[in-house]
Amino acid sequence: MTDKAVSEMSFEEAMAALEQVVSQLERGEVALEQSIALYEKGAVLKAHCAAKLKSAEEKVELIRAAEGKAIGTAPVQGL
Amino acid sequence: MALLFSHPGFAGHVTPPGHPERVDRLRAVEAGLVGLSVERREAVLADLDDVTRCHPRAYADRVAAAVPSAGWAQLDGDTWLSPGSLDAALRAVGGAGAAVDAVLTGVADRAFVACRPPGHHAEAETAMGFCLFGTVAIAAKRALDIHGLSRVAIVDFDVHHGNGTQDLLWDEARCLFASSHQMPLYPGTGAAREQGAHGQIVNAPLPGGSDGAHMRRVYETVIFPRLIDWQPELILISAGFDAHAKDPLAGLEWQAEDYAWLTTRICEIAGHSAGGRVVSCLEGGYDLGALTESVAAHVGVLAA
Repeated sequence: MTDKAVSEMSFEEAMAALEQVVSQLERGEVALEQSIALYEKGAVLKAHCAAKLKSAEEKVELIRAAEGKAIGTAPVQGL
Repeated sequence: MALLFSHPGFAGHVTPPGHPERVDRLRAVEAGLVGLSVERREAVLADLDDVTRCHPRAYADRVAAAVPSAGWAQLDGDTWLSPGSLDAALRAVGGAGAAVDAVLTGVADRAFVACRPPGHHAEAETAMGFCLFGTVAIAAKRALDIHGLSRVAIVDFDVHHGNGTQDLLWDEARCLFASSHQMPLYPGTGAAREQGAHGQIVNAPLPGGSDGAHMRRVYETVIFPRLIDWQPELILISAGFDAHAKDPLAGLEWQAEDYAWLTTRICEIAGHSAGGRVVSCLEGGYDLGALTESVAAHVGVLAA
């Protein structure tokens, strides 16, 4: 797994790291004592992915809103 | 009144400094028992033949042979043996067996076994997750094979999935095994699709961060309907207290009163089909303060 700080990861990097964490937990590759630390890392990665998704969704909404506004304010032919 | 099975030998299983499953846990458990109406009994020593109700003899012999004469021997990333570990693990098996004998012969309705090491991660041929022998699974087999019961149930509310109990009882049609546990987390098993060879295993995974209210809904909708339908003649509990919000090894948010609620409901169900007979065995729980208050809540209900 990459040592890059989670806050600096792209969505794709964070998703890949999260999938690796979940896979390790599901395969039982981690000792009992360490599994909570791995779970917590997974939770941070999940929150980061969720934040990235939300941010992307907001950008899409802004673009949609901007498009709507542009159409709405375009001069109407014939008036 | 409830019977309390304990023994100084449980303190003879010594783990290396800094290990969470430590002797001090017993003192935390004892602190939780102060003032409760319990009658103390000796957790007797089982022999290796008792262990073979669930484990191959060769495995039991391997564990016995691995016990060091001094210091520690390590069996996996989590699981250690000290010179007193075999005695302690056999007293856990013996204590749980004696508790089953006592409630099935009418000495008392309910019993708590304050044992360590825990047992529910030990698979047929694998010691893991602090566990050597499948204490509760072996107790279930004892109730079925020695006492002739035909329907036993185990409820495992330790925060980690009881993979060992599941492994040992996968093909045991006479025993319902129901487990709630945080998932994903150690040991990685416990998905709802894991149902046993006869559909007699019920796994109820809980999401990290979920609380006692969530747990109560899951028990009322998933586990208790199956437990009631099973009509057990005896209910065994794998009583881990590491779903408590303060526990350092997991991420659930249960409080002591959630253990009291859970115990009350299990005892109510035992009252319908099992003559009120409940035997509970200590599994995990690694925050000493949380362990004290959770044991007080759990055994307080058993002893009421």
